[in-house]
Amino acid sequence: MDNEIVSVLKAKFPESIHSSVSEDKRILLSVKKEGFYQILSQFKDMGFDHCSDVTCVDYINEGEFELIYHLWSHSKKIRVIVKTRIPREAPRIKSIVDLWIGAQIHEREGHEMFGVEFEGNPNLTPLFLEDWEELPPFRKDFDIREYVKREYYGEDKGYFGSK
Amino acid sequence: MKSLTPRVIKSRAEARTYSLWAINYFSACGFMELLPWVGSGYDMERFGILAVSSPRHADVLIVSGYVTKKAVKRIKMIYDQMPSPKYVLALGSCPMTGGMYWDSYSTVKQIDNYIPVDMWILGCPPKPENIGHGIVMAMNAIKGGFEGH
Repeated sequence: MDNEIVSVLKAKFPESIHSSVSEDKRILLSVKKEGFYQILSQFKDMGFDHCSDVTCVDYINEGEFELIYHLWSHSKKIRVIVKTRIPREAPRIKSIVDLWIGAQIHEREGHEMFGVEFEGNPNLTPLFLEDWEELPPFRKDFDIREYVKREYYGEDKGYFGSK
Repeated sequence: MKSLTPRVIKSRAEARTYSLWAINYFSACGFMELLPWVGSGYDMERFGILAVSSPRHADVLIVSGYVTKKAVKRIKMIYDQMPSPKYVLALGSCPMTGGMYWDSYSTVKQIDNYIPVDMWILGCPPKPENIGHGIVMAMNAIKGGFEGH
């Protein structure tokens, strides 16, 4: 049983929505990359005035990144999770900064840790990492063990080798 | 230095021992265990240890907890600004070996690759009693004429 918000969206964007789970106070939508921005702006118009988080998951075996947007409505008290997938080789997606300004810092972090390009975000300069020349560290193909061994446990690095 | 008599050298070392001013670089749980010493429970001021806010007033640098790659640069800057003789206390297992962050890409595993450390205080995190033990051992060494690195 869909609640009315989901049925409105399904009527409006029949092709974009893969699947949905809807409960009393929680909605989960899996959408296509092409329609995700229209769906999010529809949520914004419906009164979902807070974007609490934008996160990313690396599905390396499927060659895709999954972007997850968490929305919240202060008036309706409903949490919404919108998921969309983008290809790993060309990780580009439209920024939602013009909808929720608070998403800027989350997109900046996603760009730094996963290398996802958020088109339209005004500031994607590195925030946490200094002098970072490797792959973005949260990607699955970044070999943390190999990096740590080389960077901190090398032959010239103290007790673990010879100083 | 050679012109100083042994008696002057001894009293100078004693004066140093009982006025150790400390600057903290607190990054993690080690500092939570240092707090009883700052407060009236253990009261480090009865040993003459004072928390100062400028590295130029400090004799002791206390590094409490894990140190990230970014933080180690700042710690080096603080250390370089301190006047000699200066001493460094490292709290907990993280500055020694990386502790539970031994395979993290962002934390430094051993801070004595970057700055010289005079006293390692064991624990994960160290108990206030351990910290007191370490501080008293350091004070005894300073009283005996240890001038730091």
